[in-house]
Amino acid sequence: MMSIVPKPKATELSFEEVAAKYPQFPRLLLLKTDLQRRGVYYTKQALSKVDPVIHQLGGTHIFGTRDGILTQRPEALILRDGTSVITSPTPLEQNPYIVDFRDGRLVVMDGGVELEEVEYWTKPDYYNLTTSSGIPMSHVASARPQRIYLMPSRYCHFWTDNQGCLFCDIVNNLKQQKSELNLPPRLKPQDVAETIREALKEPGRFTAICLTSGSDFHGAEDFDAEVDYYIEILKAVGENFATPKFPSQLIATAFTEKQLERIYRETGLLSYTPDIEVLNERLFEWICPGKARWVGYQEWKRRMVRAVDIFGRGRVNTCIVAGVELAKPYGFNDEDAALQAVLAEAEDLASQGVSTVYTVWVPRPGSYLRGQKNASLEYYVRLALGLQELRQKYQLSIDHDDYRRCGNHPDSDLARI
Amino acid sequence: MSIIFSKELVELFAKKDTVKVLATTDAKGMPHVVVKESLQLNESNQLIYFELLESSQTNKNMVHSIWFNRPVAVALIGTGGESYQIKGKPVKSIVSGLLFRDYYVKIREQLGDVDLAAVWVIEPVEVIDQRFNIRSREEEIRHPYFKHLDRLAK
Ligand code: SF4
Repeated sequence: MMSIVPKPKATELSFEEVAAKYPQFPRLLLLKTDLQRRGVYYTKQALSKVDPVIHQLGGTHIFGTRDGILTQRPEALILRDGTSVITSPTPLEQNPYIVDFRDGRLVVMDGGVELEEVEYWTKPDYYNLTTSSGIPMSHVASARPQRIYLMPSRYCHFWTDNQGCLFCDIVNNLKQQKSELNLPPRLKPQDVAETIREALKEPGRFTAICLTSGSDFHGAEDFDAEVDYYIEILKAVGENFATPKFPSQLIATAFTEKQLERIYRETGLLSYTPDIEVLNERLFEWICPGKARWVGYQEWKRRMVRAVDIFGRGRVNTCIVAGVELAKPYGFNDEDAALQAVLAEAEDLASQGVSTVYTVWVPRPGSYLRGQKNASLEYYVRLALGLQELRQKYQLSIDHDDYRRCGNHPDSDLARI
Repeated sequence: MSIIFSKELVELFAKKDTVKVLATTDAKGMPHVVVKESLQLNESNQLIYFELLESSQTNKNMVHSIWFNRPVAVALIGTGGESYQIKGKPVKSIVSGLLFRDYYVKIREQLGDVDLAAVWVIEPVEVIDQRFNIRSREEEIRHPYFKHLDRLAK
């Protein structure tokens, strides 16, 4: 097995230095965060242990991978504390962690040193089935260890006017998925209803349903088309539940109060996550031109706060692509300044009942910001601690977007204790 | 080196009327002690128990223990006066996958409509026989001063 010694920038603390400086940050979560930050490379031995009958292979995703290859690798990893690690296969020259099979165990390695035993995600039963219209159910809903992930529409209309978010590769990924995997760009409610019905037959597998799509500003009022479609899909999902509401999350555009009231009234949806992506007005305008044009930063924030009256405290949050606030050329030059600015905005939202979570920015090859570098490990640790402290200070629960319902946010993993 | 349990202890785990108690601590060291009927041994000689409540203090403390390498303690009390303490460390939280699914089905067959948050795996590091006669004999030998003199008077 090849050993790669990580070479952080001179000013960046190493993994061990960060671990020593922040002893209150669990080592397993530190590893998860760094696995997301640096990505992984699967050795041949590790790949030989993937059993397509048991394990979930990468497939239907809204965003692409770091190495531009879509299939035939394990979907992701799970650590021994139950932590999910959603991370992307990464070319060796970018210095990823190595996933290897040694002495009968699947392990994460770095610099030739074995760090942790890991497991591949298990494939859900419904991945073996097709809908009555002939679509593989794995193309209708993707699975995390404990959540069903629906991407009803894989097209974002901001891209039509060249106003997609600069870190995003949704449309380029859709083109690749369409040609390589033959994925439907837009789901039919019937296919969704059938897939959810099958997914719920598997005992103890899923704890939540999450929906997300690209934005669609069409309609009598801006985004009515997106709202109508979500309602249609959520109703199809809801057909399978005995209760009017079910554990669910909608990650979508910041809708108006009228639109949100409709969604809440007409569907079983329980929580709402309009991703603001960047907690800084100036950078939001640069990095999210479509969102800035059609909604605007201040209005996005106002809509999130108003959504709390509809969904309740702890049921509305927003996600940021952490590290993109440092993107060149207009981002912060300094991590301290970035952190201060982001946490101040997060506190403004938290004080009004809206919680913030982050995902680690992955500069994907299909995005405008490709080739850039994400933030230091220390930055992600400080951000995670800061966001979780805000949730504690303002007593905001994050049950709907935690380690189990989502598993993609190191900060909300901290809410387990 | 892994702990080898005596036949008596293995049987004690399996008996229905054994009282099984799990003691954990939170981040501030606050102790939390609960009866966990589901405590049992797995094939690898580790302790497991079924955590039914995701939000329980025990579950949070177990997460804290696995994250920060903090020990937990289990007490077993049998109807025949058996009394053991086992100290150990949580090493795994099974929250999904094929094994989890088996446990989930099993626990619902046993208890009806309950949920299963996690199956915790505890690696035993020390077993202490807590029966009074055993402990008092040990004290006699190791600490001959620890007694009142009137007990020794002619
Ligand atoms: S809104 Fe931005 S992040 Fe979301 S799909 Fe469109 S371009 Fe991508």
